[in-house]
Amino acid sequence: MSPREPLPAVQEVLKKVFCVVQHQHGLWRSTVSDCSPLLTSLSNLAEQLQASQNVQLEETPLRAFPDLKDCLRRKLLAAGDAILDQLGEKLTSLLQVRDTISSHVEQVFELYEQKADELDLDVVLQPSAVSPSLADMLAWLQDIDRHFRNSYLERKYLLSQIQWGNLPNIQTLPQAWDRISENDQDFVQDILLSVSFFLET
Amino acid sequence: MVPDSGVPTADPLLKLLPTDSRDRGTQRCRLGPSALRALRVRLGAALTVNLPDGGSCICTAWPRRDLSDGFVQLDPGCASPGAATGPWGAGRSIRLSGLRAVPCPPLRSVTVWPVLREPPAPGGASVLEAAQELLRNRPVGVCSVLMAPPGAAGPVAAVHVLGGDPRPEPAGLVTPRTRVELGEPSAPPAPDPPAETTLGGLAEAAAALRELLRLPHLHARALAALDVCVPRGLLLVGPPGVGKTQLVRAVAREARARLLAVSGPELQGSRPGETEENVRLVFARARELAQRGPALLFIDELDALCPRRGGPRGAPESRAVAQVLTLMDGVGSERRVLLVAATNRPDALDPALRRPGRLDREIIIGTPTLMQRKDILQVITSKMPVSPNVDLLHLAEMTTGYVGADLTALCREAAMQAMRHPGKNSENPVIDAADFFEAFKKIQPSSFRSFIGLTDVKPVSWEQIGGLEDVKLKLKQSVEWPLKFPREFARMGLNPPKGILLYGPPGCAKTTLVRAVATSCHCSFASVSAADLFSPFIGDSEKVLAQVFRQARANTPAIVFLDEIDSMLGSRSISKAENGIQERVLSVLLNELDGVGLKTIERRGNKLRLQDNCEEQREDEEELEFQEVFNQNVMIIAATNRPDVLDDALLRPGRLDKLIYIPPPDQKDRLSILKICTKNTPLDSDVSLENLAAKTSFFSGADLGNLCKEAALRALEENGLEASTVSQEHFLKSLETIKPSLRHQDLTLCEGFQKQEFSSLENL
Repeated sequence: MSPREPLPAVQEVLKKVFCVVQHQHGLWRSTVSDCSPLLTSLSNLAEQLQASQNVQLEETPLRAFPDLKDCLRRKLLAAGDAILDQLGEKLTSLLQVRDTISSHVEQVFELYEQKADELDLDVVLQPSAVSPSLADMLAWLQDIDRHFRNSYLERKYLLSQIQWGNLPNIQTLPQAWDRISENDQDFVQDILLSVSFFLET
Repeated sequence: MVPDSGVPTADPLLKLLPTDSRDRGTQRCRLGPSALRALRVRLGAALTVNLPDGGSCICTAWPRRDLSDGFVQLDPGCASPGAATGPWGAGRSIRLSGLRAVPCPPLRSVTVWPVLREPPAPGGASVLEAAQELLRNRPVGVCSVLMAPPGAAGPVAAVHVLGGDPRPEPAGLVTPRTRVELGEPSAPPAPDPPAETTLGGLAEAAAALRELLRLPHLHARALAALDVCVPRGLLLVGPPGVGKTQLVRAVAREARARLLAVSGPELQGSRPGETEENVRLVFARARELAQRGPALLFIDELDALCPRRGGPRGAPESRAVAQVLTLMDGVGSERRVLLVAATNRPDALDPALRRPGRLDREIIIGTPTLMQRKDILQVITSKMPVSPNVDLLHLAEMTTGYVGADLTALCREAAMQAMRHPGKNSENPVIDAADFFEAFKKIQPSSFRSFIGLTDVKPVSWEQIGGLEDVKLKLKQSVEWPLKFPREFARMGLNPPKGILLYGPPGCAKTTLVRAVATSCHCSFASVSAADLFSPFIGDSEKVLAQVFRQARANTPAIVFLDEIDSMLGSRSISKAENGIQERVLSVLLNELDGVGLKTIERRGNKLRLQDNCEEQREDEEELEFQEVFNQNVMIIAATNRPDVLDDALLRPGRLDKLIYIPPPDQKDRLSILKICTKNTPLDSDVSLENLAAKTSFFSGADLGNLCKEAALRALEENGLEASTVSQEHFLKSLETIKPSLRHQDLTLCEGFQKQEFSSLENL
């Protein structure tokens, strides 16, 4: 870093990070919404699997096919595994988003730690017409970082609970997934709106 | 940092506001600018905060959004264990000096003990990951507890910080590069004392409980091979204060089992369904605890939670009971939770609870016996400076009917007495026997508090009753001797008499004799009169009488005194009336005296003990034990002046088996009665009591007392208030007006009854 005025230097980095957040947030949302149809199909598969377990094939004309039930089950499970693989990929991209944001936020805080002694408390606390105060923005970044990490953890935990032995659980997956999304829909958006002027200057 | 000008040097009071919802789980402490200046901290620096209700927490310093001073908001996510972390009510505040900036170096590694939210279904990796995420970028301190924010997913509810490198004392920052290790909490610092030192006289119950608790862990394989389901439920039954709760706590501590203790009323909720939810939560928590070792779920006062269904309180109660039943079946199946419930009203419990598979075993803890009382006293006084002249055995003998709680109260009171001694050395007070006796006067056993027929007997010594020497001897033989010389009785093959009937004409000291009996032998004494028994409600009288006996049995040795028994009980053999209340009372009495057996909940003492360590027992202990067993029954003393109307069934051996006729006083007796009556009266030299005794045939003891009173009054009347002596003349004049109350026919009636008894014996 060049020995410039400390505040503009930090603000510049903040701007950069918020842009990254904006971009990554878009990625995150699209990935999350991509998951929804996958989860719906997974839940459908679970429903079919349950139905195939419940049906008495011996009482239908299909009794001519002896292994039908097992075949059906194998096929459904294979389809389910394919979807799980796709979900795993999505989860990996969510992880990438999370890590990108984390590393950027970490950089900002490192920079602030370096400059902290030069920054007067008034400067840190005072917002201007176009920019929120440095303290607020740092707190927001911390919030955003924690938010993505928690959200990722929650989704990962949800997916880790998928077991083919527990079909009713799989059937409720889409709702559970949407509920996580609902909880955090506006959080990042609100913060980005608060800094929109700051980003444009 | 810029030199801070204008910051008040005083210690301002910061008003504690509720945490902003956005800051929840962030561990931030929002302060005004001047506070931040005073603390000389940068943003995100670690602070330790002393909380208003004790304890402290570690926070990061952040400015308030509105930049106003004098307020503080904090999220106590990382607090010292047991700290009260709000929500705080209005008006609480923290001094600025309670906030302290602390250095917070990044940690190379940190060791934590995760507290799991529910049984961990996924493997250890996810616990580690959850712990890592929870700790990331947070300042933590050693020995603090970091709570997961409410609503967070994942298996970890909280982590205890055990240590780290460098040791986070007072704080250290967990960075993304910090290695997080999972550890187990260190063993409790002080080794627990063995149960024997804290439990007196409950050895049998404790052994049963201990066995249930340890069996599945000691012999897991053998049990699995046998395909045995170990009993997982236990009901402790006993009167209040015998130590049910303490027993469970002591055994759990000794077995190092995790104890989850709740009380029935605690679980009750006001909203519909809340009780059931609380019950479910408690059982879930117990199962969680059981994952990590033997666990014990203790529900105190179960009768409040699970009353009989179909009672007057209707559906909500039934739902709670049904929930408990369902969960109990769940507990029994595969988990390793031992459910212990305690109640003092087992009959009020829903019967569905009391079957194998739910509460498999029932342990009845009765009022402590003599030996048990001695044990308890030994335990309580073991830590007290008791002077050597205190005989615990004697104390135990005195404290009939005392339960553990009463004995504790007794010892406490004795200690208080010792403290109050004015002249004694206050540096190291010693409790001596006198203190115990003083305390004994004050502390009444709790089982006596609702005791029906409990009476304060005016002490009467045998010497205060004139004459009747052979009656006194007989009474002593049948009441005092069995209590005092049980071994001799047993050697001669004698059983102590169950009941004694005193009969004789009115006014001949029957009641006074009983008083003397009650005074001379230290045992529980209940006097029941018709007033106690009869009530306008059907069945009430019988219940009261049964209760009297139940209480007396809980406090053996005991004497139940039924005065004027003829008025209380009807006679089936003589009156041919309908099935009246008196007959029903009679039948209750007959049953209580010589029924098939006792109710199971009245069981007392320990049976295993005699079999267990017979050889080790010392001779005198055996003697005590023996005496205890021998005195395990209640003696009833009845008095009447109409023995002829009593039912025949009542008078047979085994019930009122000793009939003692109290004759009207003969001349010699009358003389001694007169001597006693005039003991406090100044008599003239001319008074000849012998003469009076000769002249007062058919006078009962009460009449003689009246005569003496009358004579004294007459003396006052004649000689004015200055009269100093009573002369023979006064006696003689009084004698003219006072007529004897005994009539010849009364005497013949009683004597006839006596003869009839003898003749019926001869006929056999």
